[in-house]
Amino acid sequence: MAREESKISPEDSQQPNSAAGNSQNVDDLFSPRFKSAAAMAGWDEEALIIASLVVEDTPDRQQSKHRKRSGLTFNTPPCSNSRRKRRIQRRSIVSTPIAPLNLEEEEDQQQISKQENEKESMEEKTSVEDEKKAKVNEPAPLHCMDKLREELSCAICLEICYEPSTTPCGHSFCKKCLRSAADKCGKRCPKCRQLISNGRSCTVNTVLWNTIQLLFPKEVEARKAAGREIECQGRESGSRSSSSSRRTRTRARVQDPALAARLQREDLAQLVNTNTNTTRRGTPVRGRRENDLSRLVSAGRRRRGTPGQDEDAAIALRLQREEFMEAFRGGSGQNNQQVRIPLSSARANLRAMATRAINRGRPV
Amino acid sequence: MLGGGGKSSSSSTTAAAAGGTWVSTTSVSASGRRIQREMSELNADPPPHCSAAPKGDNLFHWVATVIGPPGTPYQGGIFFLDITFPSDYPFQPPKVVFKTRIYHCNVDAAGNLSLDILKDSWSPALTITKVLTAIRAIFTNPDPYTPLISGVARLYLADKAKHDEIAAEWTLRFAK
Repeated sequence: MAREESKISPEDSQQPNSAAGNSQNVDDLFSPRFKSAAAMAGWDEEALIIASLVVEDTPDRQQSKHRKRSGLTFNTPPCSNSRRKRRIQRRSIVSTPIAPLNLEEEEDQQQISKQENEKESMEEKTSVEDEKKAKVNEPAPLHCMDKLREELSCAICLEICYEPSTTPCGHSFCKKCLRSAADKCGKRCPKCRQLISNGRSCTVNTVLWNTIQLLFPKEVEARKAAGREIECQGRESGSRSSSSSRRTRTRARVQDPALAARLQREDLAQLVNTNTNTTRRGTPVRGRRENDLSRLVSAGRRRRGTPGQDEDAAIALRLQREEFMEAFRGGSGQNNQQVRIPLSSARANLRAMATRAINRGRPV
Repeated sequence: MLGGGGKSSSSSTTAAAAGGTWVSTTSVSASGRRIQREMSELNADPPPHCSAAPKGDNLFHWVATVIGPPGTPYQGGIFFLDITFPSDYPFQPPKVVFKTRIYHCNVDAAGNLSLDILKDSWSPALTITKVLTAIRAIFTNPDPYTPLISGVARLYLADKAKHDEIAAEWTLRFAK
């Protein structure tokens, strides 16, 4: 309020001046470009003067004359709105781009910091940021989330598409899944069996991938962490498959807990190494991606946080591995606990069916 | 009787699985994860007249049942199937074997099954649910042109009534 009054008083004192020397005023108020535009729009000098008054009305003209003028060319018709109304409109223009998915957050803030003066901008920024934080924290209340999940999951791994790649026939799969499908099952679309020209040169469908990252940030993070683990397992699976054939032949030897524990420890060392490597290697790529996705600030923010998270993930994996080793030493039973719960229920179902079958068989 | 046999065999393999192959369930590979996903989807939304679940603790070895669809000579029979997933599962088809005897031109005496989607036309986008649906479909529509037992196929083409009679008899004997 106080601010408004202070703004109005100099304007009021200026107004008579501008009314007196109008032609001169028009000259230094409007750029030649604007004047030609006004002429094209069929404005006479009077209209221009009225416009100039309206322009003077606007609160922060002094700070940013140039922008205001160029802005005016778009907002042209200086309709007879009251001052307050116009101000409200102006402000609403600034605050509208707070999209629900908080894209362009950074841009907004830059615009705001340019346009608003110090105090005001500080206030607005904080309020805007508060709003945004609230929006980030609360899960998107989409009732169609399940359908989206189904729609955006890969038919090969049945999980949310990770770096989706789209075939020429329009079906999307994880890039890795599609590549291994092309390698192992021939170059045909897994869904419609149409020929895929070259499964090896799959590119990520950026729009889809960004959408997935926005909709399912948790899944994507989990998958990223799991991806590293799978990589490691993939490397060890080579040795493991050869050892598994050995295992079938001389089961007793491989079941020796000491040997298995040693294998696990080697895996662990490998795991920790690769994790540190990926964090180091990961940073430049991350930077480049950030440029690409500078508009997806929410995603970007998450990414900026990842170096720490990578280490966390490494530690978590290590702990998991250690637990695994413990369980291996202690006996195989405990480890399967989580898997067993759904398993046992399924098995119970089957048993019920089987007994029903027997019972039905008896009277016949 | 047959059902009892199937049950005992499943419990014996449970013991075997607990002994040697638990590794595959704990170090969850990509294929293991996919199988787990399929399992949870099967539990959440089971297909009609079918069921499938891991035999023991080994995720890669399942047992499934298909109930003979009404309007066919297999009506009311419960057919047990053994499903073995290869280690690179979604990229290789699962091996499906009938454990219950069935009089069908596409199923041989050992229970092997000739189904195109389990051989050359396998696609990684197919799931066990779809495979079971396909198996139910060959109950209603046997394919006598790519038979495993040519005698049955010939009988099916020549004298369908006789074929159906024998099939119903077998269903009664082995699958009820």
